[in-house]
Amino acid sequence: MDIILAAVGDAFAWQALLAIVVGTWAGIIIGGLPGLGSVVGLTVFLPFTFGMSTITSMALLIGVYCGSVYGGSITAILINTPGTPQSAATTFDGYPMTQEGRVDEALGWATFASFFGGVLSCVILIFCAPQLAKFAVNFGSIEVFALICLAMMCIVGVSKGSVMKGLVCGMIGFFLSMVGSDPITGADRFTFGSYALSSGLTLIPVVVGAFALSEVFVRFSSRDDPGAKIPEAKLRLPRLGEWFKRLIELVRGSLIGSFIGALPGTGAAAAAFISYASAQKLSPRRDRLGQGEPDGIIASESSNNAVTGSSFIPTLALGIPGDVVTAMMMGAMVIHGITPGVRLMVDQAQTVYSLFVVLIIVNVAMLILSKPSIGLFRYLFRLHQGYVMAAIVIFSFIGAATVRGNPLDLVVAALTGILAYALRRADYPLAPLVIGMVLGPELESSLRRGLLIKRGDFLEFFTHSGISMTLFSLLALFIIWTVWSGIAQRRQSSANAPRAESDATK
Amino acid sequence: MKPVRRSMILLMLAGTSHTAFAQDTLDIIVPFAAGGATDIVARSFEPPFSDNLGVTSVVRNVAGASATEGTAEVANSEGNPNIIGYEPAGALSIQPSLKDLPYGPDSFTYICRTTSNPMFLMVSQSSDIENFDQLVAASQEEPLLYGSSGPGTLPQLAVAALVGESDLEASHIPYSGSGPAMNALAGDEIQIMADTETILANYDLRPLAVFADHRIEGYEDVPTIGELGLPEMEFAVWQGLVAPKGISQERKTQYSDACKATLESDRFKSFAEKAKAGIAYLGPEDFEAFVKQRYDANKQVLRDVGLIE
Repeated sequence: MDIILAAVGDAFAWQALLAIVVGTWAGIIIGGLPGLGSVVGLTVFLPFTFGMSTITSMALLIGVYCGSVYGGSITAILINTPGTPQSAATTFDGYPMTQEGRVDEALGWATFASFFGGVLSCVILIFCAPQLAKFAVNFGSIEVFALICLAMMCIVGVSKGSVMKGLVCGMIGFFLSMVGSDPITGADRFTFGSYALSSGLTLIPVVVGAFALSEVFVRFSSRDDPGAKIPEAKLRLPRLGEWFKRLIELVRGSLIGSFIGALPGTGAAAAAFISYASAQKLSPRRDRLGQGEPDGIIASESSNNAVTGSSFIPTLALGIPGDVVTAMMMGAMVIHGITPGVRLMVDQAQTVYSLFVVLIIVNVAMLILSKPSIGLFRYLFRLHQGYVMAAIVIFSFIGAATVRGNPLDLVVAALTGILAYALRRADYPLAPLVIGMVLGPELESSLRRGLLIKRGDFLEFFTHSGISMTLFSLLALFIIWTVWSGIAQRRQSSANAPRAESDATK
Repeated sequence: MKPVRRSMILLMLAGTSHTAFAQDTLDIIVPFAAGGATDIVARSFEPPFSDNLGVTSVVRNVAGASATEGTAEVANSEGNPNIIGYEPAGALSIQPSLKDLPYGPDSFTYICRTTSNPMFLMVSQSSDIENFDQLVAASQEEPLLYGSSGPGTLPQLAVAALVGESDLEASHIPYSGSGPAMNALAGDEIQIMADTETILANYDLRPLAVFADHRIEGYEDVPTIGELGLPEMEFAVWQGLVAPKGISQERKTQYSDACKATLESDRFKSFAEKAKAGIAYLGPEDFEAFVKQRYDANKQVLRDVGLIE
């Protein structure tokens, strides 16, 4: 008990609280700017933490991390440009709501869902970390492959109108992710003998091109259209009754996020897509999904923020970083003399407990700071649209360049922007492109590792373990359900069509 | 036209001032993303190193392509005395044999080796395998799998070399980093992994042998590969400083003196102890010979396992 009180004391020290406020606010702003995401935010703040105490520096970094994951949703909702790849799924319903004039409501749901997901995952982290870590270890290559296949299903759901067009874009994304080194043999592929391409294409430049730059082009081409103005950012948090009605959605999204976060190597963007795919099947309002339904925002935002808490599970319980961001946090721990690993919970219990408390305070701070941050964006977006778009282009390129300091990424961002603009003009959905790009590398490498383990026998995947059997059965159900509802819908519409015609002739 | 001309002049002025200042700032290239294991060491190395040199340094992360991207940038800056690279073993001694790179072992001015940690052969603590003979016996019954942090990395090469020289039956499964590989080891997807003491201690694994020519302090009961009746094998994860070709002898001496002083400083020593980085200084000539020797040895292993012709 003493140790817990001491930990709470550490977390409520004024330095830590100040670091939380500064970090969270900066995180929200950085996340909200397209191109600048969690990794850039942490890279900027990492050097400052060298001189701070352990808890203060962790507080600053956790604040930046959680804030940036939430901040991405603000621009996703306001201008159809996710500030970070993690928020790409928020655009599906966030932007349609904005177009309907429900900005305040959309931002309110995004804020509340982020807060809810973040807090629930903290609770899970505190109470079930060892158990969940033990379970996550059972997710080997084959299980991960099955899980990613399930997530890929969400391409079908987000390609409104034409599944074919969605699949084409998904494949383009998948193909882009394959450029560079082969994950198994290390050989170069699709590089056309160019050394610059051998390091592959990374996610940020592609996302920046596909969403931010193409949005700028679209707005430029319709600049005289008064309807294309950026709406005023407002925030209205959902009332108790409203969120109680959608409690199941909030809990499901948060649980999916918490679980995905506990698996090493997946991350928040994948969690948001998987959660969105499940909302497409399970939400009671699934028919409206993609046309401006808060459930879509909840699915995306509750799960991506739930990853922030649970990505510490493999880090704390096994010493395995869940993603790039937690890998950086582990680096920061090492600098302060904490060795992450299996014995961390035992040797450094006080630090670990203060980390839990910090995580919860950060989420509360996020909720409180959401209003002033959105106010700042309202102020920024009140400028002439030309200035806002110019700033978006600048930040997009800065973001693309800072990821790994490779000039090639600027070219990639520009080319993806042009390609994405052409695709949008031809009514191709862009989300599948990003889904393919996010999930592609893990899909490929888990499949190929699985084949190596099973010595080339794919059929053994299905009988590998209880988990893989369950996941593959779910996948089969998913496919049957989608095909079945597609046929049923077509039948219904063809049955309605003649009636409508006969009505018209009357 | 006037504003354009003026801004051109301004730009030129800005350009000249840049080159003037560049004399006093040093670019330290780290070929990994910020926050990684190598980056942490480089960032702790930088402050005492800069103090010793009397310059301001900027640590710049140029990541990608198995750390060859940033390494290539150093190699391509021929004659620039204000850029050095903090390099990992793989980028200098493995990747040039694997890929068609714009650099090779002769493309650098070698400054110093900073750290080196021998690699251990290890299995999960939950496995019943207690020593190397049991491991070989188990693999004879059913072939085992060993993981690595990627294709063509030291963990792969070490075990591949061992498989080539002993009766161990094991095949390779590459992961996207040490983390996912450790997860696979914990879930018994793979059974064997070779890595450093840091990994061994953090994940509570069981060491079976060490890829070094002598037993390691703190692990006195872990035999060397040579003691197992096999040919001597040395695999270590090391790091070092390189500068581009064409810098003056004076600059080279400045760098290597500063490097030596840094490694002897209390500040870096206390960090190295925390991060379990084994300080292992080698001067310019020794380091160059060492890299070339490792390059040839690794190339032979790569050829033996069929990764290159």
